[in-house]
Formats: sequence, structure tokens, C-alpha cells
Amino acid sequence: MKRVIFSFATLLAIAAVFAFTAAAQGWQIKTNYNVQFSNPGVSGIFKTLKGDIAFDEKNLGASKFDMNIEVASINTGNGLQNKHAKGSDWFEADKFPLIKFTSSRITKNGNNYLATGTLEMHGQKKEIGIPFTFAQKGNEGTFAGAFTVNRNDFKIGKPGGDVDDMVKIELSVPVTKK
Amino acid sequence: MFKRALLLGFVSGALAGVASLIYAKVYHDSLGADFSKIATTAGIMITSTAGGLLAAVGYWLLNKWLKGKGEIVFNFVFTILTFVSILGPFAAKLPLDVEAPELFPGLTVPMHFFPALAWFTLKPLFIRQQP
Repeated sequence: MKRVIFSFATLLAIAAVFAFTAAAQGWQIKTNYNVQFSNPGVSGIFKTLKGDIAFDEKNLGASKFDMNIEVASINTGNGLQNKHAKGSDWFEADKFPLIKFTSSRITKNGNNYLATGTLEMHGQKKEIGIPFTFAQKGNEGTFAGAFTVNRNDFKIGKPGGDVDDMVKIELSVPVTKK
Repeated sequence: MFKRALLLGFVSGALAGVASLIYAKVYHDSLGADFSKIATTAGIMITSTAGGLLAAVGYWLLNKWLKGKGEIVFNFVFTILTFVSILGPFAAKLPLDVEAPELFPGLTVPMHFFPALAWFTLKPLFIRQQP
């Protein structure tokens, strides 16, 4: 009898541990995402976004974003501008092919969330906060967020000039449950 | 004179449009680049014909004002404007859903030369040089 009680107690303890450390729901990025950047001097999109998303509104502690954008997929709508953006004066796509964001914590603020983490661009890392919303419908959902970065923080281009220092980045990422 | 110049402008512009459409087809078939939503058939024909008609008006005006030197001035102006016009395709900002915008100048720059080429080729058939 003692053995049975001990076994049950052990199972209960294991279940409790798993309940508290349960991984957040994984999400698969759908293909119709949109990563847009704009400022008065230049605007465009990045066509390739990849990454791992674990997000649970009820378990933000276990939620995490690990996202990559391919620099070479930049499209401003103009071939010369695209080449220039990938070149040594701006992103240096050959040397720094990815823009990376890895969240360290996600917090809730009213109906919105804030993903705080490290943004790495052009070999420079900086901690930023990305405010976003998440609209879920069944097994699908959409993350939407917008934030502004100072390109000088990442040594992209020269300060001043035709392209403003502050660049607005807007994301819309439709996902399905894994 | 004006009617003949206008007819030359119309015919050379229309032929330049046809040449542009043939070139666009060859370009698309060989490189796979599709800009048909931007450089439409109607757009190419209208722009080329309008270019030819504009050249006709310019030719007539310059010959009227400059008499004997009108011809040579027109040839220079037409050629220079044709060269300057190629800046347009290089500066064009295409819709973001269009793939490979770097191939767009390769399609449109040659088209900018077709109206002048057609004009200079067909001109002896429409307007005889004064002896």
C-alpha cells in the first residue's frame, strides 16, 4: 500500500513540475507575412522572414520569439536602391546576412504585449522593446507590431543624408498552431 | 509639311510600339522577368505613338523657326532627349510585389530608343530632303 501511495505521489510531483514548466504553444509562420520599413527617404519590405515562435497568452513566461530576416531579401521597388542597400555603405549583406531578434521576456500591457529582447543588425546588438498585438481565431492567429529604430545605433549608413536616421518597422505575421 | 510630319510621327511611333512589344516578349521568354502589370501593352503603344506625334510637332516647329537648320537641331534634340529619358527606368520605383526590379531597366531602356530609331529610318520615305 505504501508503495502505491509513493508511486502516486511521485507521479503527482512530476505532473506538477511539468505543469509549471510547460512550453508555450508553438506557432508556424504562414507565407503571407509582411515586414515593412519606412521613413521619408526610403521604404520597402524584407521578403524573407523565418523563426521560431512560442507564445501562450496565459503563459508569457515560457513564450519566446526567435526571428531572422534575410538582409538580401530587401526590396525597395528600385533595383539600384536594392543593390545599394545590400552594399558596403548600408547593410553589408555579404558580411551580415541576417537581422536577428531574440526575445528575453514578454509582458502584457492592457490588450497589447511587449517583447523585450536583443535586436542584431549589421553586427551590432541592442536591447529593444517591440510592442505587438496577437489576434487568435481558432488554430490561427496574427501577430502585428510596429516600432522605430535609429539606424545609427546599428551603424547602418552614414548619419544624416537623404535617409532619415529613424526608421519605422511594421510587422504582420500570420501564424498557425504547430 | 505638317501633315507629312504628323503621319511620319504616327507611323514611326506605332512601329516603335510594336517593336517594343516584340522585345518585351523576347525579354520575358529569355529572362522570365514579368513586368506586364507595369509596362502594359496599351501603355507601351500609347506612349510610343505619343512620342512619335510629339516628335512630329517638334520637327515641324523647329523647321518653321530655324528654316534650313531646323533639321539638324531637331536630330540633336531628339537624340539627346532619348538619352535623357533612360534615367526614368533607372529611377522608377515599382510596386513591392514585383519581383526582380533590377531587371526593369533592361526591359524599358531599349524601348526608349525605338521611337527615334523608327523616325530616322522612316523619315526619307515621308519627307524628302531639300536639295
